[in-house]
Amino acid sequence: MSAGGLHDLQTVALTVNGSERTVAVPAHRTLLDALRDEMGLTGSKTCCAEGECGACTVLLDGRAVNACLVLCAEADGHEVTTVEGLSERGLTDLQEEFLNAGAVQCGFCIPGQVVSAEYLLRGNPSPSEEQIREALSGNLCRCAGYQRIVRAVQATAARRRGDRG
Amino acid sequence: MAEAPARPADELDLQAANGSPARIGRPVLRYGGADRTTGAQRFVADLSFPGASQVALVTIPVGCAEIVGVDSSQARRVPGVLDVVTAAELPSPMPRFGPSHQDRPVLAAGGVNFHGEPVAAVVAETTDAAQAAARLMRVDFRELPGVYTLDAALAPGAHLVHDPSIRPGDPRAERNVLEDALYTWGDVAEAQAHTDVVVEHDYTFPMVTHFPIEPGGTVVVPTEQGGLDVYSPVQHPYLLQRTIASVIGLPLNQVRVFAPDPGGAFGGKQNPKLEPLMAFIALRMRRACRLVLSLEETFHAMRRAGCRIRARTGFTRDGELTFHEVHADYQIGAYADVAPRVMAKGSYVAAGPYRIPAVRIAARAVMTNTTPSTAFRGFGSPQVAWATESQLDAGARLLGLDGLEIRRRNLVARGEAFVRGASAARADGEWRESLEKAAELVGWGEPLAPNRGRGIAVGIKPGATSGLSQSLVRLLCDGSAIVYAGTSDMGQGARTLWQQIVAEELGTPIDRVSVISGDTGTVPFDLQTSASRSTVFMGSAVLEACRDVRRRVLELYAETTGVPAEELDEAPGALITPDGRLSLPEAAREALGTLRGEFIGQGTRRLRGKGDHPLGGDAAFYEFNATAIEVEVDRETGELLLTKHVSVSDVGTELNALQVVSQDEGAAIMGLGHSQMEQLLLDEHGRIRNLGALDYRIPTFNDVPLELVTAAVENHDGPGPYGSKGISEGALLCTAGALGAAVAQATGVVIRDLPLTPERVWAALRDAEARSRADAELRSAP
Amino acid sequence: MTRYYRPSSTADALSALAAEGGGARALVGGTDLLVGLRHHTIEPTLVVDLKAIADLPEPIAVGDGGIRVGPTLTMGELAAHPVVRRRYPALVEAALTVGSVAIRNRASLVGNACNGSPAADTVPALLVHDASIAIASRAGERTVPLHDFFLGPRRTLCGPDELVTRIDLPRPPDGFGSAFRRLTRRRGVDLATVSVAAGVDRDGRVVLGLGAVGPRPLRTELDAPFDAADVPGLVRALDERLEIATPISDIRGSREYRHAMVRVLARRAILAAADRRTSGEMAA
Repeated sequence: MSAGGLHDLQTVALTVNGSERTVAVPAHRTLLDALRDEMGLTGSKTCCAEGECGACTVLLDGRAVNACLVLCAEADGHEVTTVEGLSERGLTDLQEEFLNAGAVQCGFCIPGQVVSAEYLLRGNPSPSEEQIREALSGNLCRCAGYQRIVRAVQATAARRRGDRG
Repeated sequence: MAEAPARPADELDLQAANGSPARIGRPVLRYGGADRTTGAQRFVADLSFPGASQVALVTIPVGCAEIVGVDSSQARRVPGVLDVVTAAELPSPMPRFGPSHQDRPVLAAGGVNFHGEPVAAVVAETTDAAQAAARLMRVDFRELPGVYTLDAALAPGAHLVHDPSIRPGDPRAERNVLEDALYTWGDVAEAQAHTDVVVEHDYTFPMVTHFPIEPGGTVVVPTEQGGLDVYSPVQHPYLLQRTIASVIGLPLNQVRVFAPDPGGAFGGKQNPKLEPLMAFIALRMRRACRLVLSLEETFHAMRRAGCRIRARTGFTRDGELTFHEVHADYQIGAYADVAPRVMAKGSYVAAGPYRIPAVRIAARAVMTNTTPSTAFRGFGSPQVAWATESQLDAGARLLGLDGLEIRRRNLVARGEAFVRGASAARADGEWRESLEKAAELVGWGEPLAPNRGRGIAVGIKPGATSGLSQSLVRLLCDGSAIVYAGTSDMGQGARTLWQQIVAEELGTPIDRVSVISGDTGTVPFDLQTSASRSTVFMGSAVLEACRDVRRRVLELYAETTGVPAEELDEAPGALITPDGRLSLPEAAREALGTLRGEFIGQGTRRLRGKGDHPLGGDAAFYEFNATAIEVEVDRETGELLLTKHVSVSDVGTELNALQVVSQDEGAAIMGLGHSQMEQLLLDEHGRIRNLGALDYRIPTFNDVPLELVTAAVENHDGPGPYGSKGISEGALLCTAGALGAAVAQATGVVIRDLPLTPERVWAALRDAEARSRADAELRSAP
Repeated sequence: MTRYYRPSSTADALSALAAEGGGARALVGGTDLLVGLRHHTIEPTLVVDLKAIADLPEPIAVGDGGIRVGPTLTMGELAAHPVVRRRYPALVEAALTVGSVAIRNRASLVGNACNGSPAADTVPALLVHDASIAIASRAGERTVPLHDFFLGPRRTLCGPDELVTRIDLPRPPDGFGSAFRRLTRRRGVDLATVSVAAGVDRDGRVVLGLGAVGPRPLRTELDAPFDAADVPGLVRALDERLEIATPISDIRGSREYRHAMVRVLARRAILAAADRRTSGEMAA
């Protein structure tokens, strides 16, 4: 920050995708903006910036949250996993199934969808179609690949259960 | 969301599709798809420009005002602020631009014509500083009696959205009608003599916004050579290049547009909007300047024209259409953008794909002090289709026919004209097949549960009427290939198709074909990415470039090996030699020899327009869709539950089945948006009341119909590669008509205004009950 | 300019709030506060994050007399809690309508219920379950019934230098059933056009909580006991009783629509609540 006295800076130490990070940010800085602008993690996307679209979904201490509705300062001492963190060892089965199902169109919402879907599957390995829809209904897709995304989540669940292959 | 029975599961099975030799029609995985799942895909806001200054826009909270003064003194005192740009800092008279009318100022000059039109821009070292300073800008303005509705704009003495001085020589300059269109054939008066039933109604279609999940933005970087690099997620990079060059006064080679993939566009990112302003600012600052838009700012940048349609339609007692009169007023907004074309092209098909002896279509593009409307998936067709399809059902109800039967009786057959007269348009597909398939898939005619209804509708949309796409294909010495194609890949998956075509034609495995796009400095010209044209236009150019490569391989092979060229032949993926068939990459390697090198093929697809055609030419193809919907209505609350939604498109040939499904499902749900929930609501100052994601509702996962089924009719009869047609818009053309008819059947009440929100459905049911009570009282009165 | 503070004790939090002279805002889930910060409709001098305070009531405590909910219990945790699911089905249904999964992982019950929104989803259910709330200030703690807490839109009994530290829900009497019904503009995540919670006890006594139909959430009771055999009688009673609703027309719905819908939802919620009296548990 070089805004020169516009804001007091807050030192925030957090763990992002397994690495310890320290950033100095003004109090109003959201976790989303800090991830994107201070840490170069642009996989989390900005659309509505008010918790309605889900494009910025990350895991905070393992729970899916909208990074636009978390102050960076709140994450001090906590663990954040972004879509980049989920993908560190190459494409996950879930990401592969997104591709296989044709769920990826313009792609802008997809990182958020992937994080929300991963969160769902970790808590519920066999979600029903209704549960998948409900779990993802905070993630907007204007290409409206909704049915494809549901297929991708179902296929991943089946794969993780060993139903196929 | 049961698995679509129309598509056998194995059709979408990806096993081995990518590794195998080219398979046109196979569901090949999306080019660039993996990066889109990991977050590695870089959209414009993800690009890094170290040292760039940040720009924030300044607006005022009314839709129409004269600007009295701008005080930037407080803003300039914010630490980090570098400059404040107002009209005074830009050339005078203010430069204007636009794809058809040069009416849009680079920055509001003297007055504001719509809510959100920027009056100034703050440039600062950081986004925080720019935004803080923008809030401290004091703009003195005098609100003017702006026109925010069609009625206000068309009233005598209405405030003129455009000062007549910016429409010199235009006989309509003293009115808010920017352009009009008139299409007539046959004799309506004469046709009425053979008419048994006439229906006449008014319909409205709301203003809706594109709501791309990527709001987008622009970065302009001055180059050392005095030129500009412009980064913007535009659908038409070459139009943006030309616009910037012309507004600034630079040769085309000094303006290089980088177009990162748009994160959703849907027509909204076609035409330049804020890029010329950013170019001026960057030149003034002599450094990179970056503007990232908020979602709210996209509401101020793009929308679909709302429309009011009066339709009068005649039928024989057998249900045959005798005449159809349409008057459509498109509410286009404060600047022309491409909206006059939306009006002209949309209303051209206002009589639908039907056999009608007499038609009169009169349409107007009406300016109001609202967000300039622009292209939006469907391009003017969904508005008029809502009216015309509803009229068919109105006639059917009076005649005791159902929605399927009345369409069967009027739908044109292949080759038959649905627009008659000098600029006739003829059916270029077996459209009846789509209608029948949709009816079959929705279970038309099966018994309905209580409070349920079904509707079926059809829609057409003309494809591009002229155009030019150029492409280069390089076949490298190791058999891999690079395609240069200027189509913007905004989610439709264009690059994947180019890979497939190259793989098919050159025999290169799909995963060894890469595609370069989004850079006017390296990629040849493409007119635009719109109108579902790219498969046909760019696809043909890529195909031709591949065939050019094959010819060159043959020639050099002859020269290198001494085998006479007359004894050689080429075929998809192969060179045929007297000794047998060689794979093309193998033949290329032999031909290139030890010096290696590569083959460069060039392809061009040009469609010249016709000067005397009202659309500037015949459409290259028509998108045709049949949609059938089954709905359950909660009569007490007005809520709709879509139990089944079927969309069948006439696609020619599916080049990639998976991408066709994605486009069809996506368009179908987007169609439900404007049919069920989307609408921009304005207050008396012309401000958007539901500005942003909290109150502008688009469909979510939970709004997807319980069962969503798409299917394609393939007759290999399109003008694109392998008989393909454009397919990206069909599934939303007639969503509203199908849903409206379904609701009417379920409730017995017809609604003619969109969207069919729970409250609107409830109010219609309440009004109908009140009417029937009044009727009953009247009848029982002595 | 906004500063951020994460106190470790309630006393520190209260001192910080008091020191700002009304300019401070408490933060738990932040799902409302951050939207306000973004739009500059809220410009606090200090944001006081309550999530690290050691001496606040625990997120949820179950006792014989009922449950006690502290300020940091999220909607997600509330809706998943087995005792809450068994005893307070209307509250669970309401909590599950708040935003999306990601919102419910942050938003707190106390924050949703106590920031004074007339449309807050959980309030009608809390009213039906006779919630009371504890307000702490430097002078001490006081407890007020929730239905007295709301003064008007965004105005409550909780002063700028005070904190809501607890919501107490008494244990519903045996055979008490409750249910929540809400109307929105789309099926997915949305703000309420109208919401209603109903409670019906073993003797048929009906209590209603109403959201988004007035400047503050309302609690009311029906005079006559519920009689499953007389739905027309129920409809008439509701028609009369719900005259207390004074909805406005806004972007989410007209006054007329809300007037009609509060009646429809109330009837549906009562019937659902009455059905639950036997099992006392949520339908799957």
